[in-house]
Amino acid sequence: MISTFFINPFSQEAKQIVKAKGDLNKIIEEDERLINIIEYTSGQRLDDDSKIPGSLWELSIKRIEWYLEKKGHRRYQPGYYRFLFNSQIAKFDVITFHILAQAIGAKFNPNSRESRIFIESEGEIVKERLLRVEHQVRDDIISKILNELLDSEKPHWIQLEKLLENRRIKLTELILKDGKAILDKSAPKRIQQIINSIRENIIPALIMQKTQEYLYKVNEMAAKIEPHPILVELANEIQKRISREFFIPKKTKPGTIKASKLDFDAFPPCIKNTIKGVKAGNRNDAIVLLLTSFISYARLYPAVFKERKPHKVSDFDPTLNITLNEILPLIYEAADNCEPPLFQDDPQEKLNITAKLGFGLHETPRLENEGESKWYTPMSCEKIKIHLPILCKPDNLCEKIQNPLTYYNRKRWQKRKEEGDRDIPRSNSRR
Amino acid sequence: MFQEATAEDRRKYYTMEWKIERIPDFIRESIHLREFGFDHTGQGPNDRYRFFRDEKFLTKFMKYRAPYAAYSSVALYDRPWKREGWRSSELVFDVDAKDIPVRQCKCDNVCEKCLDQAKEIVAMIIDTLEDDLGLREIHVIYSGRGYHIRVLDPIILKSDSEVRSQILKYVIGGDIPRFSYTDFEGRVRSLDHFMVPLGYPRVFTERSRYIILHLNGDEKIEDITRQTMNKILEYRDLIGADRWGEFRDIIGPRVYERLIKGIAKLNLQLVDARVTVDLKRILRLPSSLHSKVSMICTHVEDLESFDPLRDAVPDFVKEKS
Ligand SMILES: [Zn+2]
Repeated sequence: MISTFFINPFSQEAKQIVKAKGDLNKIIEEDERLINIIEYTSGQRLDDDSKIPGSLWELSIKRIEWYLEKKGHRRYQPGYYRFLFNSQIAKFDVITFHILAQAIGAKFNPNSRESRIFIESEGEIVKERLLRVEHQVRDDIISKILNELLDSEKPHWIQLEKLLENRRIKLTELILKDGKAILDKSAPKRIQQIINSIRENIIPALIMQKTQEYLYKVNEMAAKIEPHPILVELANEIQKRISREFFIPKKTKPGTIKASKLDFDAFPPCIKNTIKGVKAGNRNDAIVLLLTSFISYARLYPAVFKERKPHKVSDFDPTLNITLNEILPLIYEAADNCEPPLFQDDPQEKLNITAKLGFGLHETPRLENEGESKWYTPMSCEKIKIHLPILCKPDNLCEKIQNPLTYYNRKRWQKRKEEGDRDIPRSNSRR
Repeated sequence: MFQEATAEDRRKYYTMEWKIERIPDFIRESIHLREFGFDHTGQGPNDRYRFFRDEKFLTKFMKYRAPYAAYSSVALYDRPWKREGWRSSELVFDVDAKDIPVRQCKCDNVCEKCLDQAKEIVAMIIDTLEDDLGLREIHVIYSGRGYHIRVLDPIILKSDSEVRSQILKYVIGGDIPRFSYTDFEGRVRSLDHFMVPLGYPRVFTERSRYIILHLNGDEKIEDITRQTMNKILEYRDLIGADRWGEFRDIIGPRVYERLIKGIAKLNLQLVDARVTVDLKRILRLPSSLHSKVSMICTHVEDLESFDPLRDAVPDFVKEKS
């Protein structure tokens, strides 16, 4: 039978392993046993050495790389990652989980793209591992893990409040009775299979939540105690991998307005001022109304005022990958730069931001909620002058346009013209 | 009945009839922690951020100003005059009789019929709050045009908007239940909502039954044609008799899927969602006069026996009739 710590890195057993074997000075050393296990993993492709991690350091990176490639769909070859689901690597794996959490938590804000990708990757790994647990022991393993994570197979739903807050599960996906979520075997036979599937869905959600809380703790600690240099180095390496994944060639064909990576230099003064941070009073409108619509349209649909077609965010970003990993982090960062930080005394504004993107009043955008509200187009310069006068510091180009988005398009077009024939881009647009 | 109150009516009400004791204890105990808001002209609560140290100050204000409408916050604050130092917020559901998506009466304001419907909906929501979510300390206020459900159970007082929005969807049936599992042969199977007799699927089934049985036929349901609507009305007795499977077979599984989607959306309109997710809302103050309809906003002790037309009518209206 597999050990629960292959799925739950927060179990007592997992903690003991990390304590005993998690020596940071040794994580870059090659480990024959690890390589051995990987080579004997069934279905594992062995034709490319760079795909086989030889140390805990490399295994950490492979964990993230697997997720990025799987989500990116391109070049994803499951055969290279079979070892991640071989329970024999459990002891190595649980250490890499904690190393990663320490590295990412120390270097990045818990709401950053890097943190979120790590949390999501852990959720995916857990899901896949659960799927592979053999039938005969499945119920036992799941019961054990639930007891490790919740102390009960019949928790009060309020114990799951954090999962609801972060939308890792929905209340309507649970079976509740007298305030308790039924996750045990007490349900009538006819619906036991449904309960089984709830049991399986809630485990990755719980582990993602715990991972997030863990990152918060590490992040707080890192502010007081200098993290081990090797962790910083690992965090840098992870960051490199992630930004490589999100890299989109800067230059697109001249003359067209297409969705492409944001060009900060082309932002109009009001937007630049918003990103720097806004004082209370104008703060909420600047972030929720102005910045949210500007950034989302600039990134996904800069031609909105030209074409005037009522689009949804998912028309341009079907998986919400860009929205969650590029657009929102930027808006949240600007919110953090405010005086005082926007979400600190108005946590509700997160919901309003989601609503302005067209996903209703929710903490984060989800495809299933799209359409509950409208995707707001950026307000006009005239409106900005009335409602947010302190942000409007017009330059020469401003005088010729009526909307910050038009400014952005015009400026990018100008910039491209200036760069001009020096290097004509060939077919390098990915989207 | 339901006429707008004059300034004279208001004066009469607040000097002769209104008493601080009519404000329920859960508010009286925390007057100094709540923000108060007033509408003096009938144009909305523009006079906000009001603070009263105790009952005496509030009483004086009410008697002297005889406001068109009075409100207090669902939140408790350390500094209510600035809406700062948030401590907690009641969980609130606002059922407005004139916004019920399947109104039987078609009146243009409110009437006995739609107020009754609102009461039925309130009773259903309270059952779910108690039986499924295990919540206690639930108060009902007749607002003048419908009902407010105010939950003071300590376990949810600090919950954020997202959690409240999820509770809302649960109690009104705003999500289509999607319960599936993988069987022994690895096939994904799903159970229809009406096949699961407990938890959220049952709530959804009950709310949907209410909607379908109360359809007038002229409601717009997304992707449902006139013709289908007629068929639904023709066969809805099956649903009344809990024979959902037969009903679905008659209208066809694909149409049924569309119908269920449309109903989930109608369910969402049973309650004003904005009120539930807003932690800083102000709600009509129980005991105050709803001047637009000349009814008293009233703390309901016993929902079943409560009759707004008997229990929430001010003296000046009784005298007139
Ligand atoms: Zn009516």
